[in-house]
Amino acid sequence: MSNDGQNRDFDSLLRRIWGEVRKKHFYPELARPQADDQLDDSVALEIKSKRIAVNRAFLDEMSRNLPMETVLEALLDHGVTHYTYCPWDFHTHLQLYQEAKRILGDKDMAQKSSDYFMDVVADTHCYKTKDTPLPELYRNLGGGELDQVMQALYQRIWGEDLGAGAEHEEVSRKLSRVPYLDRGSWVESINRFSKIIQVLLEAERDSGELDKPNPMGQSDFSRYSSEELSEGLKEFAMSSGEPGRFREVVGDFEEELSDLGLMSSSGMGEGAGSPLDADLLYYMKLAENYSIPVRKTPLEKSGDQYPYGHTPWEAGKPYRDIDPWTSFGKIMPGVTQIWERREGETHGEEESTPNCIVMIDSSGSMVNPKQYLSYAVLGAACASDAYLRNSASVGVYNFSDVEAGGRRLLDFSRKRRDIYESLCHYFGGGTRLDMTDIETFRDEKGSDVFLITDMQITNLETLIEYLSSMPNRITAVHIGENEHVRRFKTRLQKRSNLSIYSIQKKEDIPRIVLGKVREYLGRV
Amino acid sequence: MHNPFCDFQSYQYKQSREIPLDRIIQSKRKTMEEIIEGYLKLSEKEVKEMVWLVEHSRIVKAYSAAMETVKNLDYDSDDIEEFCHELDKGGKIPYLISGPAGIYVSALCNNAKEPELHLKLFELKRTFHFLGYRLPEGKSLVLEGSVGDFIGTGLSGGRLVVEGSAGNWTGAGMVKGEIVVREHTGQNTGEWMKGGVIRVGGHIRGIGKSLSGGTIYQRERTVFPDEKDAGSASTSGPTTA
Repeated sequence: MSNDGQNRDFDSLLRRIWGEVRKKHFYPELARPQADDQLDDSVALEIKSKRIAVNRAFLDEMSRNLPMETVLEALLDHGVTHYTYCPWDFHTHLQLYQEAKRILGDKDMAQKSSDYFMDVVADTHCYKTKDTPLPELYRNLGGGELDQVMQALYQRIWGEDLGAGAEHEEVSRKLSRVPYLDRGSWVESINRFSKIIQVLLEAERDSGELDKPNPMGQSDFSRYSSEELSEGLKEFAMSSGEPGRFREVVGDFEEELSDLGLMSSSGMGEGAGSPLDADLLYYMKLAENYSIPVRKTPLEKSGDQYPYGHTPWEAGKPYRDIDPWTSFGKIMPGVTQIWERREGETHGEEESTPNCIVMIDSSGSMVNPKQYLSYAVLGAACASDAYLRNSASVGVYNFSDVEAGGRRLLDFSRKRRDIYESLCHYFGGGTRLDMTDIETFRDEKGSDVFLITDMQITNLETLIEYLSSMPNRITAVHIGENEHVRRFKTRLQKRSNLSIYSIQKKEDIPRIVLGKVREYLGRV
Repeated sequence: MHNPFCDFQSYQYKQSREIPLDRIIQSKRKTMEEIIEGYLKLSEKEVKEMVWLVEHSRIVKAYSAAMETVKNLDYDSDDIEEFCHELDKGGKIPYLISGPAGIYVSALCNNAKEPELHLKLFELKRTFHFLGYRLPEGKSLVLEGSVGDFIGTGLSGGRLVVEGSAGNWTGAGMVKGEIVVREHTGQNTGEWMKGGVIRVGGHIRGIGKSLSGGTIYQRERTVFPDEKDAGSASTSGPTTA
């Protein structure tokens, strides 16, 4: 048969088997698989951007011992179960890798361990819950010593004769005690799994076989969509607890993540951009978990009535207020809309969010954001994001001992990377502000001010005086409680344009309301 | 357009099958529950007086009670290692007293069917005392990670290897056998030692008193009996090596 004919036959076989596999797995949202001739001969499949690619050469090789339908169905079952059960999402994948790396201390060994672990979980789940020819595939798969160990493990935990010899009985017995199907203990399970296969991985490393691919495919990050990657990093930043742990994992995959557009300042899907430090990415992704509201600038008062919004027209209501543009030229209850007018308020000056000057203390009494999770940087990052989301710009004044050169100023900008770079910079040393620095930020519309510090500022009195005279909306956030905080509160808490918040833990951040003005004390 | 839900008109939901893994995990959980229950009973007895003092009679009593409990259990070295991790996590075990916990683990090791036991303890946040207590002849116990005080106390012919550091009173009162500590040991190493060998790869903070036999090596060098005591091997005051 000609090549074209063979390809047509294979395509129709793939379509038929894929239909059966999709039904079996309750129609997962995956693109139709395709054949790939470019894959390494020893690799059965690859998943990229939610599409399974099966290796034709591998299929042909396996078809000598098994019907091609069987091999294809088993491979698709395997690929789909990775998507529907384990790792399920990018966050879980990173968590499993992180734990394996913690035990094995080596990127390649950790990657291999997490790959095999996810294979065991996915295939065991598939074997337990579906009718699958996976045992037949594993009976004929072959591979290195680790693959033989996995074969012995499957034989033991599935109760099928897969032809595994007795030489790996001890290690497979130990591996069989891991509760693979208990999703809640996967991290604990991969810990145990990695410890057991550590000797085998070290032997592979010593013999130079560690980079030999897993025949059932390597779980690289290209299998996830860009949204899944972004969401996964966001969750991983939250669960990592501190920048060092995030940096260790993300740093290992810097190249892969850069290729996928994740380690760039321009954001997802906008090309590689300039490389982004893992610490900046940590605070960026962590800040995405919190949403702080910003009060918009209030409407101006006026004596006239102005159209404010639309309400449905009802029979009996005057026709003069009908808005023909939103009523489709019809006068009909439920379709026709009339203008609702509000007395005393106008759209002359539209509701908007002013720009914000973020003042962040990075003196020695504050936490170094690259070593530990800094609530100051996280709080300032959340505030900056809130203003950026509302189409405003953010200026940063990062200060420690200004007289000794400990300051960094960023003029109003909407570039997230520049803002985060300024926020994450750590000076250490003393704390002394220069008020004239803040003056350089002032704009006509009266920008908001966000101050985050532990208040242990040498010239705190000068700052208090300065803030007292400021008409702008000020949000002051203090980290911890001390004498200086009490002094600051006593002097400024009655000002209507100034709100004071305390952050003792991450959970305090969402309580912040930016640009809050207490109306009952009169407008400023 | 084809409505995929039509496919399910004739669909039979497939109950997930029971596989050997389910039985293995179930049996493992049951064993762990029994081991934990045994430990809780022992610690309830031991905790009555609030303070757990290291007294010879008390240790002997606790060990006898532990042996009585574990002799009816069916477990292996993996169960012992997992029990150590459970002790460390403290989720299922409300209180941990390092002494009785170590004695209980020693009883588990001494009663295990396997002649060679290998426990990976390097990840534990706490250290247990009395590991390797009375390790009998024919048994070999390898402890990965650093361990607490009184390691290999009363060793009775077994081989105990610590792939890390051991605390004070290592090999106290050991009768015969061998203790190998890859890194350092604390004060009173080999106190009341009657026989056997202690090999320390790093520093020995201090040799114990009243040693009546046995040999202590530090990095291939004999530190007990030292040259002046050689031949008598009776008593020696605390020394710093």
